[in-house]
Amino acid sequence: MTFEVEIQGRTRTVSIESVGAAGPEGGRFRVVLDGVPRSVCARATDLGLLLTDERDGRTSDVAVTERAAGEWMLQLPHVALTAVVDGRRFRRRGGGPAPVAGEQRVTAPMPGRVVRVLVKVGDEVALRQGLVVVEAMKMENELASPKAGRVKEVAVTEGTSVESGRLLVIVE
Amino acid sequence: MPKVLIANRGEIAVRVIRACRDLGLGAVAIYSDCDRNALHVRLADEAWHVGPSSARESYLRIDAIVDAAKRSGATLVHPGYGFLAENATFARACADAGLTFVGPRPEVVALMGSKTAAREAALKAGVPVVPGSAAPFAADASDAAIIKEADRVGYPLVVKAVAGGGGKGMRTVASREALVNAVRTARSEAQSSFGDAAVYLERRLIEPRHIEIQLLADEHGTVLPFVERECSIQRRHQKVVEESPSMALPPATRLEMAAAAARVAKAAGYTNAGTIEFLLDRDGRFYFLEMNTRLQVEHPVTELVTGIDLVQWQLRIAQGDRLDVAPEQALTPRGHAIECRIYAEDPDTGFLPSPGLVRALSVPGGPGVRDDRGVAAGFEIPVFYDSMIAKLAVWGQTRTDAVARLARALDEYRVVGVKTTVPFFQWLVRQPAFLDGAFDTTYLDRVLADRRGRPFVEPTSADEDAATITAALAAWFRAHRAAAGRNEVGTRFFDDLSENESRPRFNWRRAARTEALRSS
Repeated sequence: MTFEVEIQGRTRTVSIESVGAAGPEGGRFRVVLDGVPRSVCARATDLGLLLTDERDGRTSDVAVTERAAGEWMLQLPHVALTAVVDGRRFRRRGGGPAPVAGEQRVTAPMPGRVVRVLVKVGDEVALRQGLVVVEAMKMENELASPKAGRVKEVAVTEGTSVESGRLLVIVE
Repeated sequence: MPKVLIANRGEIAVRVIRACRDLGLGAVAIYSDCDRNALHVRLADEAWHVGPSSARESYLRIDAIVDAAKRSGATLVHPGYGFLAENATFARACADAGLTFVGPRPEVVALMGSKTAAREAALKAGVPVVPGSAAPFAADASDAAIIKEADRVGYPLVVKAVAGGGGKGMRTVASREALVNAVRTARSEAQSSFGDAAVYLERRLIEPRHIEIQLLADEHGTVLPFVERECSIQRRHQKVVEESPSMALPPATRLEMAAAAARVAKAAGYTNAGTIEFLLDRDGRFYFLEMNTRLQVEHPVTELVTGIDLVQWQLRIAQGDRLDVAPEQALTPRGHAIECRIYAEDPDTGFLPSPGLVRALSVPGGPGVRDDRGVAAGFEIPVFYDSMIAKLAVWGQTRTDAVARLARALDEYRVVGVKTTVPFFQWLVRQPAFLDGAFDTTYLDRVLADRRGRPFVEPTSADEDAATITAALAAWFRAHRAAAGRNEVGTRFFDDLSENESRPRFNWRRAARTEALRSS
């Protein structure tokens, strides 16, 4: 099976083929990462996977948590990465604003409660203008428009409880 | 054995439970719906449910908490910090119910809890205050009146909640254009955090350092000031690193500041633990900022450099004990201590909250390391409360030793399942300005703005490859699970790795077989 994995702001292609078991909690795989084949042994840990590259024996301890559908958090001992596998457009994280075009869906980055809606349908908004304020963990987080444009849809009202990934506003 | 009801949650509830144990007192916890299996509930001698998850319906419910205290037979109530800790109505309700509130008398909480009244009290005690408005704005103050008062105070200024604390309900304003908006958001935040929307204005000093004096005062007239803490490393007015002693304070100024703090406390008739916060300007002059009439988050650094257990003393003072600590012991730092507040926030996305299930937790240890935390593996960090999950404090003979130990301890810290601010601290403790102590309260916001969201820890290409392959394997298992059918035994695979379960199980053989069947 082949997957597109969006990680660190780029898309990588990974194909996975099972080639047998490796002990009671392990499996061996032929993995092709961006066209380069490698042989990988994966063992389940209490938190995720212990990956061993069979070519050089290099082992990585990766904890795996699914944060939202198709969005995986991968924690190595000193660094946490987020990957989106096959599916939604990758939400760019860090590295400054990316140029965006077309319709943009602004979603809740974390669960919380909408405390203010700052725009209404038809409003013209500027880049980085506040759209909705979501309160989570006692802090108010203002979610800004990813582009200059017009508000096409406002999907929440003040007081709405939202889960992570819930659509808040569409800007076109 | 007297019992203490702890009207709080998280790490501070755990801290107070420990002090109760040390003194041979019973510890009674309270909890809301989402805190049923919280660490403080598990560690206490008994725990009482006080309401739904929303703080307003549980940890802020005075009637429910007083009722729980009475039903449990507790005779003392420790409020911790946050929630009702600086609420005079709560202190009064405890007294009315025959409970001993571990803190100052209700009228002192009310006086010093109002930032504007506290400023007046400081002036009366001969302590300079930061220039600002004399009284809060009326709830219906017009925009014009607010602008006029701001012009009088002068820009840049800070909009502050009268009932504020912990950086909530506070906004810095550089010029007139941003004023009205800032007042509005500060009011809204103050209302939701403290139930009081009143705000006032204060001049923003240029590059000040935040230095504070811890106090203990008994009911027999003894007021004991401690060596200072410096809390200048702040993000959006929220302290993130605290240390003791300060690198910026000459010993003579320390004594002056301690004496000024003690004067304010004496004048107010203060009892129990409290802290007077000062700003130190570039010329070494200090100004009264506010008083916190409670235990502070950062109290461990003072405990580490003086060897005095502040929470034990809070409980002893509340029971009428005499404060018999030698003044030199409180004022003379032994070595250096630094604390980091670890939040469930993602530093790489502008510190957005990262609630969720803590799947595993590995905490540093060894010499000079103290970890105060309120979560354990298997606990779901709720969205309803503050995102601080732990405080990592270290002690070293010198500041250099302490910083090295902090860096080492941070490298040992691992929290799986949610993102935390640990990577940010790993970066911070290696910055030249931090190492030199060359910072003020504007330092952190400035350098964070300069970084524009660059990640604090850069993965190596091997890390990235491993993460990419693991993500693909996760999706591969997910696909096989779906193909094999949900109800079949042993096909749960990565389902177990989602946030809903803490104990994952794999079935590699079955997955491989299913794939073989599909491809044949």
